[in-house]
Amino acid sequence: MITPKEQPAEVRTLKGRPSDGLIRQNIVLMSGLFIGPVIAGATDFESAAAISFVFAFITLFSVALCRLVPRKLVYTVRVIVYAVAASALYIPAYLSCRAIMGDAPIIKAGIYLPVLVINHVILSKTETRFYHLSYMQMLLDLLGYIAGFVVVCMVTGALRDIFVNSAIGPVSVEVGFEIPALETTFGGFIIVGVLAGICRAIYNYTQKRREPK
Amino acid sequence: MQLFASLFNAALLAILLQNSIFERALGPNILIYASRKKEHVIGFSLVITYVTTLSSVLAWVLDLYFSDFEYFGILMPLLYILVISFIYILSLILVWRFLPKIFGRIKAYVHLSVLNCSVLGALFLNTQFGSALSGYIGFGIGTGLGFFLAGYLLYIAHPRLNSDLVPAAFRGLPITLVYVGIISLALYAFVGYATR
Repeated sequence: MITPKEQPAEVRTLKGRPSDGLIRQNIVLMSGLFIGPVIAGATDFESAAAISFVFAFITLFSVALCRLVPRKLVYTVRVIVYAVAASALYIPAYLSCRAIMGDAPIIKAGIYLPVLVINHVILSKTETRFYHLSYMQMLLDLLGYIAGFVVVCMVTGALRDIFVNSAIGPVSVEVGFEIPALETTFGGFIIVGVLAGICRAIYNYTQKRREPK
Repeated sequence: MQLFASLFNAALLAILLQNSIFERALGPNILIYASRKKEHVIGFSLVITYVTTLSSVLAWVLDLYFSDFEYFGILMPLLYILVISFIYILSLILVWRFLPKIFGRIKAYVHLSVLNCSVLGALFLNTQFGSALSGYIGFGIGTGLGFFLAGYLLYIAHPRLNSDLVPAAFRGLPITLVYVGIISLALYAFVGYATR
């Protein structure tokens, strides 16, 4: 067990802030830690909702559980425990998702629902960040990361739904033109890349304004 | 000959039509990390090829016996994670015991190259296509080769994508995603695209 004095200074001063995961370290747009399901899975609003729900469920309960795994275990074994816990939690996540949203969004999301069990919030952030926070702070911090993913996934799904199907879920939204290629994987790469650039530009601008002159 | 043709077809399918990065977007985060260094591109690709190929064999056995089971779809992630973990642990022990130099070199990133969406996604896709054992093996090999192709294309573009010529906000991840998107668009020529 590492005592607080033995930890590096940056870890000692680490505090759980929901805004970190939501904006500054957003796992899709800022750090790019987990982008595949948003690019290829969130092709419309409904599939984005299913992916967001399953991601939130699996990540929240996996990290809350895995944070309790003793650090005496070697990392090789710990990381497997995390993956197994996440894949076991996929069962209730899938069943809850089906009960709430029905079969259609699950079929649309395809293999991008089960691949959510290997996400780097669980496999990496638990090690590099969540272990260094108190349990309550960790939960607060984790909610920020989950919200960051959910917001980006839903926005991407909604944008694609508008430009491909002229709708957001069941609500019709007429924009006067269609871009069907946005639902493809290359469309997903480009839309997420552009969103990442815009998000970084806004973040850099607000940071510059905050700096003392 | 039939066996080789099936293996070759599946490998070609995984490299071009179902490329884990360009077509399926399985593990672009790992690809971006690996593409910074040439040795990482090679190392990651070798590990992914090795794990997907061996896992595909075990996945084929599981599919053969359990695919008719009603709840197989829900249990699939857990079963496949156990398969990957078994191969990971066993291989790591063997490398540590018999090839300590290689173990020292790969231990920093081996977990990233084994536990990622590319590997797990390849097993799901294999099950979805449901071919013979040679097809499973070919798809496993093709997934690794497809990852290498994507990694190499990103590695050679890496200096330009991170140069000062790119606006600061778009430097790094955003422009890399747009670049991968454009290559993905080019590869769509193999699949063909029809608007509704």
